[in-house]
Amino acid sequence: MPANPILRLKSVRKTFGHFTALHGIDLAIEEGEFFTIVGPSGSGKSTIIRLLVGMDELTSGEIWLRDKRIDQIPANLRPTCMVFQSLALFPHMSVGQNIEFPLKLRKIDPAKRKARAIELLQLLHLPASYYDKRVTECSGGERQRVALARALAFDPEILFFDEPLSALDYRLRKSLEKELKDLHARTGKTFVYITHSLEEALVMSDRIAIMKSGRFEQISDADEIYSKPVSRFVAEFMGEVNLFQVTASDGRIEGAGLIAAPGDATSTMAERITAARDATLMIRPEYVQFLADGQVADFEISGTLNGIYALGSRIHYEVKTGSGQILTVEKLREDRYDGSQGDTVRLGWSAASAHVIEDTPFEEKVA
Amino acid sequence: MGTSRTTRIALTIYGIIIIAFLYLPLVSVAFASVSKARYLTFPIKRYSTGWFSEALASTEVRMLALTSLKIAVIVTILSMIIGFFGALAFARYQWRYRSLFQKLVLLPIFFPQTVLGLALLMWFNSLGIIPSWKTAIVAHLVWIAPIATLIVAIRAYSFDPALEEAARDMGASTPVILREITLPLLMPGIVAAGLFSFLLSWGNFPLSLFTTGADSTLPEWLYAKMVSGYSPLVPTLGILSVIGSFLLVIAALAGLAIYRALRPQK
Repeated sequence: MPANPILRLKSVRKTFGHFTALHGIDLAIEEGEFFTIVGPSGSGKSTIIRLLVGMDELTSGEIWLRDKRIDQIPANLRPTCMVFQSLALFPHMSVGQNIEFPLKLRKIDPAKRKARAIELLQLLHLPASYYDKRVTECSGGERQRVALARALAFDPEILFFDEPLSALDYRLRKSLEKELKDLHARTGKTFVYITHSLEEALVMSDRIAIMKSGRFEQISDADEIYSKPVSRFVAEFMGEVNLFQVTASDGRIEGAGLIAAPGDATSTMAERITAARDATLMIRPEYVQFLADGQVADFEISGTLNGIYALGSRIHYEVKTGSGQILTVEKLREDRYDGSQGDTVRLGWSAASAHVIEDTPFEEKVA
Repeated sequence: MGTSRTTRIALTIYGIIIIAFLYLPLVSVAFASVSKARYLTFPIKRYSTGWFSEALASTEVRMLALTSLKIAVIVTILSMIIGFFGALAFARYQWRYRSLFQKLVLLPIFFPQTVLGLALLMWFNSLGIIPSWKTAIVAHLVWIAPIATLIVAIRAYSFDPALEEAARDMGASTPVILREITLPLLMPGIVAAGLFSFLLSWGNFPLSLFTTGADSTLPEWLYAKMVSGYSPLVPTLGILSVIGSFLLVIAALAGLAIYRALRPQK
């Protein structure tokens, strides 16, 4: 939890009729942080951002901006600004007029407005000649930049983003992700970003919050969320993963055909699995090795090579275990495994690269 | 996929027939207005623009045109205002009785105008209001304002609500949003609604017949002259009216084009 948060949500709850979109969530965001809320459709992330900018009212709870409660303040009086999913550029105005709009509302002198608009165009790598261009004549990437420039012209305390890159093609999206991260570093502003794209979250964020059914499943930095997810949902949401339902007794881990070598590393894991109500062993595909004859590992499992898929620089192997589970192994092209479909293979990985998910049943979490 | 030669010829012939069907009656009125003879016969023996000079010089015609114009202008302005706010309720905002409102507001369009005119006349009588050109404004509005609402609503349906939200997010109050965002974006629809309102009111006969009382509009006069005392002034005024409407449409379209061209450079 940040020591001096710029934004705090306390027990924020939102209902629509009988449907509860947010279940009393708490959140604190550090000043200058790039914070991303990621989750599947219907998880409640758009509801949060609409509450934060004042487009919707809370059912209960509080929102604080530094030491000021803002949830009762109308949207047009809040010192925050949002870049909309549709960008919401005013089609009847030029690029310059769009950027100047928040400055015009503050009755700033037209000459100063124009100077600031041109300054922002340059900051966003757009030529000054775009000032008089119609927004309807701009490309997708240029429109993104104009929307960003307009939001920055507002000079908000926090800049919110509601999936602004979702409609762009892959290459442009990747390029703008980097630009956004760079812009965040240059401006030093607090960015709160909403997306359903894991990649966007991983590339840009200082911290990520994973949402599911109106609750935060996990809030942490990208590395921790990826390597130490707190639930099966987070593990699966963060990309390809191999999960084993396991139990432990007398320091030995069992389940799904796994063979765990006795030792300090596995016995520590066994203790955690014994203590958990419902434990899952997680290993990411890139940590799984094809074991040669005589080679040993902390965890081993045998199976049949079921499929080989070339994904550019990486290759995915699908291995079907004796229990029928399909495991994924990922190798870089230069480290490819020279095997054929139908081969019997032994897979292994170290205890250090595995992670135990102590899944508490969902009903208990709610309680 | 390309169109075959036979299809192209068939489509051309079809187009000509449709255009002829729409415009030939108007052409015959145009011929009648430039024929020196009292009654139109073909071939026309002598052409004359005398009827036009007589129509433009006539005090009676001027008074009739003025009454029609007064009604049409006021109906246009009010229809644009009602249409704008009505369209916001019709298409832009979600509210409890929106579906019922959408049905009720369009209902007057489907009423026979004579029945509507009669109903309004009886209503004015029951309220003790003497029918005049002013009551005709109310009558025209009952029929035309829903049409104006529908026209603006079509535009409002394509309006992205995020535009208003974005303006509010940047600090704009409701009146500022209305002035800076909503109104300019709905303007083409409002102008179209205004044009329709003017033309529908200017040419309206059934509602005017029941509700103008002692006053008379141009269409009423044309009808009266057709029934008794036909004069070539009838087709002449008809043609003048059509020319006026045509010029109005052209002026409105030109105005809209100029507005669009100038606005971003302001």
